[in-house]
Amino acid sequence: MYRGILMRLSQAVPVLLIFAVMVFMLMHLLPGDPALAIAGPEASAEAVEVIREQLGLNRPILVQLLEWFSHLAVGNFGESLMLKQSVVSAVVERLPVTLSLSLVSLVITLPAGILLGVVAAYWRSSWIDASVMVVALLGVSLPGFWVGLLSVLFFSVHLGWFPPSGYAPLDETGLVAWLASLIQPAVVLALFQIGFLARITRSAMLDVLDQDFIRTARAKGVDEWTTLAKHAFRNTLIPVVTVLGITLSLLIGGSVVIEQVFALPGIGRLIVQGIMNRDYPLVQGTMLLFGFAFVVINILVDIIYTLVDPRVRYG
Amino acid sequence: MAGWLERAGLTVALAAMLAQPALGAAGGKAGDPARGGAITYAAAGGPGALDPHVAGSLVALEVIHHVFETLVAMDESYNARPMLAATVQVGDAARRFRFTLRPGLRFSTGATLTSADVLASFERYARVSTNVALLEDVVGYDVPDARTFVVRLASSNAMFLDMLKSPTYPLAIVPADQQERPGREVDVVGTGPFMLESWDKDSHLVLRRNPDYVADRSAAGPDGLAGRKTAYLDTVRYDFVAEPAARLAALQGGTADAVANLPPDFASRLGGRDDLATLRVFPYCQLLFVTHAGNGLTAQRLIRQAIQAAVNVDDIIAASGQPARRNASLVYPGSPYHTGDGAEAFYDRRNLDEARALLRQAGYKGEKLILQTNATYSYMRDAILVLAGQLREAGMNTEVQVVDWLTNLTSLRRGTGNWNVTSAGFCTQPLMGPQQWRAQIYADPHIRDLAGLDDAYRRLLASPEFAPRQAAWRRIETLVLGEAYFIKVADLGAVRAYNTRLHGMAPYFFQRFWNTWVN
Repeated sequence: MYRGILMRLSQAVPVLLIFAVMVFMLMHLLPGDPALAIAGPEASAEAVEVIREQLGLNRPILVQLLEWFSHLAVGNFGESLMLKQSVVSAVVERLPVTLSLSLVSLVITLPAGILLGVVAAYWRSSWIDASVMVVALLGVSLPGFWVGLLSVLFFSVHLGWFPPSGYAPLDETGLVAWLASLIQPAVVLALFQIGFLARITRSAMLDVLDQDFIRTARAKGVDEWTTLAKHAFRNTLIPVVTVLGITLSLLIGGSVVIEQVFALPGIGRLIVQGIMNRDYPLVQGTMLLFGFAFVVINILVDIIYTLVDPRVRYG
Repeated sequence: MAGWLERAGLTVALAAMLAQPALGAAGGKAGDPARGGAITYAAAGGPGALDPHVAGSLVALEVIHHVFETLVAMDESYNARPMLAATVQVGDAARRFRFTLRPGLRFSTGATLTSADVLASFERYARVSTNVALLEDVVGYDVPDARTFVVRLASSNAMFLDMLKSPTYPLAIVPADQQERPGREVDVVGTGPFMLESWDKDSHLVLRRNPDYVADRSAAGPDGLAGRKTAYLDTVRYDFVAEPAARLAALQGGTADAVANLPPDFASRLGGRDDLATLRVFPYCQLLFVTHAGNGLTAQRLIRQAIQAAVNVDDIIAASGQPARRNASLVYPGSPYHTGDGAEAFYDRRNLDEARALLRQAGYKGEKLILQTNATYSYMRDAILVLAGQLREAGMNTEVQVVDWLTNLTSLRRGTGNWNVTSAGFCTQPLMGPQQWRAQIYADPHIRDLAGLDDAYRRLLASPEFAPRQAAWRRIETLVLGEAYFIKVADLGAVRAYNTRLHGMAPYFFQRFWNTWVN
């Protein structure tokens, strides 16, 4: 297994290199001058030019790319232009917020998505199935920022149940305040994933329920709950676990929008600010770290396969 | 004229235009101001740095003006007024400025402020500031004693004090030990009524009342960014909430006591809540169209003037949805430089026949005219969409490009991108007046080379009397508007909101929390 993990990690190196070049080029292709973002709209042209010179933005793009790679080679992800802080420390500072949001969202997504999928499959073609699929369709169709704003209006303004924005750190404010600040954005973030996961689970479950071994189990008198939970559900898990990796990636990606709507100071918001200000090192470094995180998530998913299905071997 | 300016054979134009606001001008029955209490303000964003010498963003400046102070600051009417200086003597035909500091001034660390700190701050500013042009004419400084600081200029500059009052890139006085600090890396230590307690970038910051604050007891009360400021609140927490809807929800939900600018239609959602009120700030910014004199069609004066002739201001104001007033000038009515009579000729022409005639004269054959705007500021986008319709009606073939704010700003300031007209909001320039417009006007190389502009600006800065300076500004406005480099649309206001438990909230360009209190 260890050899397999090492092989996957080594395969990830060229992927990350290509990804890094793409991120670098895309950022530098964007119109908009970071020196102007730093200097402010009223700075003189000369002052803006001085900042461009200081930041090295006047140099050829290839020189800038090679310099970035030379820094990456020694583990230096650069310094944010706007924050005057190393990219890694900026990410690490905001990591607890994004991780908290993603994990709470995942905790909501997994049982809800799988349960809805199983229920829809078991009562296929009934009104229950139709209702679940409508809910799932709404979940994947409604834009998160819109649902977020409506949710704030209803749950925060009208009912006053949750704070409308902001993050309460777990270590400073305690569990209740932490959960209260996260539950609303986490549910909004989970809506898309629940719909997605429910549809995948339903489809996988339907395939399994039509298999001979299920018919055999029923024929030999195994009770319906055992048939469903022990025989059908376990065989549904392979596609579900595959989707799980994607779901976690999407949750982290989706946090970009949700953190902005709920003013959560996480990595998603950091990236948005970085892009808006053309903070090249910040966006490039953060995206690269994200890329690495996705590689690791996919390796973990591969490992989980082996636990779910003993026929699968890793390495 | 305020008594602080000791004339030295020279009149410095610092006219007081409006009466000073009373304490607690808004907020209902205020009761007596009392110390104590903590409030939360939902700001539109968070600062990247809190270095006054390089601060150009409004979100940073709102915080900075609570913590730092300048020798001269703008008052309630946006004129220059001393803050850390007790008096200013202007001599040698506006080439020598002698500042005498108020006695007993202290930084929030408790250290005494002396002229050595002032000297260090000026020298740091000249080294790191993005507004270094402010001091480009300085030939030297003198520090005769601990309370006196003298600036010597190479040439007469009757507007030097007006330039010093600028709230953007403020020449704030920082401790002398900060002199060698690079830009954006200064310690947040000032002489203002509040001090920085904590700052969680991207999330919030907290200001605490500065116990060592030395108020200007010569003033009757607060006056713009100057005057006698009193911090009643223990703490002010700035939450950084970019989404206007989330800011409004924070106010409605009770997690914020005051919120930064909201779209005007949001104010209607506060109806029926006695505990919430709006604060209308007017004027706030000016909406203009800027033509790209270095690109294609709009390089032709006749085409630019045809665009100007087609503009119907009332339709644009109606579409923008902003509180707005008609004004032809690049400064606000009430300013001594307001020259509505000269600028009127180029304003709200709504003459489609003239526009068509100018197009014919220019040999226009239906080439595409690119109108660029941004999605960040909806009023700019809406204005350009209406303009596109008006230009089409005049026979022009228009295309609208919507980009993000920084792209739009870069296009405007660097003259990059393929565009002909863009919408722009200018905020501090019309407030501060002619000297503040200079950087923007000179940013465009095509305007910079305009015949007569240099001479007019020279007269504006060097003339010791006000009348020739006013005439010089009228000339500048006529040149810039007459050539249709700038097409003035309207003066705009801003809408903020607050909980009425907060008293002393008064409309001003920057949101201030000194002289505000909670019962």
